[in-house]
Amino acid sequence: MPHPTTTDAPAEYPFGAVTPTEAGQRYRAIAVDRPMTKVTMPFGGDVWVIHRNSAARQMLADSRFVREPFRTGERVVPYFVEFPDFLKTTIQFEDPPHHTKLRKLVQRSISPKRVKAMRDSAIEFANHLIDEMVAKGGPVNLVEEYTVALPIQMLANLLGVPPEDRPKFQKWSSSTLAVANMPEEEVVANMTELVVYMMALIEERRREPREDLLSDLANARDKDDSLTDGEILPIALVLIIGGFDNTANFIGAGVLSLLRNPDQLEVFLSDPDGVAPTAVEEILRHGRMAIGDKVTGGGGMVPFVATEDVTIEGQFIAKGEAALFDPMCCGHDGVALEHDDVFDIRRENNPHLTLSYGMHHCLGAPLARMEMQVGLAELYKRIPELTLAGEAIVDKDNLTQAITDLPVTW
Amino acid sequence: MPKVFYTQPDGVERVIDGTVGDSVMSTAVQNGVNGIVGQCGGALSCATCHVYLDPTEMKLFDDPSEDEDDMLECTASDREDNSRLSCQLVLSEGTDLHVTIPDEQA
Repeated sequence: MPHPTTTDAPAEYPFGAVTPTEAGQRYRAIAVDRPMTKVTMPFGGDVWVIHRNSAARQMLADSRFVREPFRTGERVVPYFVEFPDFLKTTIQFEDPPHHTKLRKLVQRSISPKRVKAMRDSAIEFANHLIDEMVAKGGPVNLVEEYTVALPIQMLANLLGVPPEDRPKFQKWSSSTLAVANMPEEEVVANMTELVVYMMALIEERRREPREDLLSDLANARDKDDSLTDGEILPIALVLIIGGFDNTANFIGAGVLSLLRNPDQLEVFLSDPDGVAPTAVEEILRHGRMAIGDKVTGGGGMVPFVATEDVTIEGQFIAKGEAALFDPMCCGHDGVALEHDDVFDIRRENNPHLTLSYGMHHCLGAPLARMEMQVGLAELYKRIPELTLAGEAIVDKDNLTQAITDLPVTW
Repeated sequence: MPKVFYTQPDGVERVIDGTVGDSVMSTAVQNGVNGIVGQCGGALSCATCHVYLDPTEMKLFDDPSEDEDDMLECTASDREDNSRLSCQLVLSEGTDLHVTIPDEQA
């Protein structure tokens, strides 16, 4: 694949906070210069951070990159934060063949087909939340009233949490969210209650299966004879933690990026349902930069370890070295997309890697896409005159840079 | 060089010169053909590269494996008799293929 050849921007990586325009120029300059950079992480030592979209795809599709040494504790995960042990028991740290087995079981329950069947209930719930907001009157914090509640409700629905338990499920689950910004002791207490509750629910669904994910998983045991409660719980938790936080955050980023780009907001308002699918992909790729705040160059998904010497786009990665990719850089490498510095919500070909790629691609991708599409389209269909009622607050201390307060009115 | 004819749901057709050994999915993704996502990269775990293969070309391929068959039950658009996951359709010398992309993929 060709790489662009001209740029004047510096190619150091990582880099400190700069304007989105400059960040885009730097991402491109780095990708021209090299496919990856070796970076020493705050935890776990060195890791190759991949910058080019094509090189990232190559790594993600190569079965010689595994996560076993992280799962077994043989190696500390080289990353920006320390990974809690329970996260290392989840499906994202598994390798084939066990990963394949778990993934197959979960995938059916969260497949494009199953998610399509959930769309009507998502629309209904989004409108219920909007009704409450409208009744209350602006200004409101959209994060509290809308962007968090929608994904939590949808995941409760998918997992099979009964309606009467949803308020407490929402309380426990939302404590894990970066957007909730809660003290650590409270997070631990809520997480413990959530785990106890989920274990009981798994047991109940094993006895009396229904049409939901936990029932599917609990009763897969009979067909496959080895999916234990200990395997089901981490799947549920990774969906809760990965699913709510990121989806809530991206819906918020989507609203804010549209409000800050009136030309694109006009495009969106012209046909919310029609534009929502491409808008969501563009928000996933570029939304954070379209907000206009300064961005730092340095980020990445969970790493892998090379089990053999591997060369990717000319860069030698030795056996035992770790590698990850920076999705922001891969969405702005000057090659994968045309005019990648432009926020274009009608962009049709959008090979961003925000939901990753290969066998570890985001488990909840179909659900996340649907929730974002519904969340944005319903909001703007009902309240097209939505405007900011103050400064949005971003938690810059948090890895995901969550928007914790998005004051809006109409 | 095998050609792949991709027809969008609105009838617009695009022809790509493929490479022997590549799949219909990877050929689409590398050339920016809309409507084929292929998020799992061919690991049979996403059901986002669903296509309808020209019925006369079904005989060029073995029947779907058990894993493909499972994933074909998970696609966003309805499964038909000629439904295939395009990551499993590998191009061979001298054989052009014709696929129609469904309305919804993911």
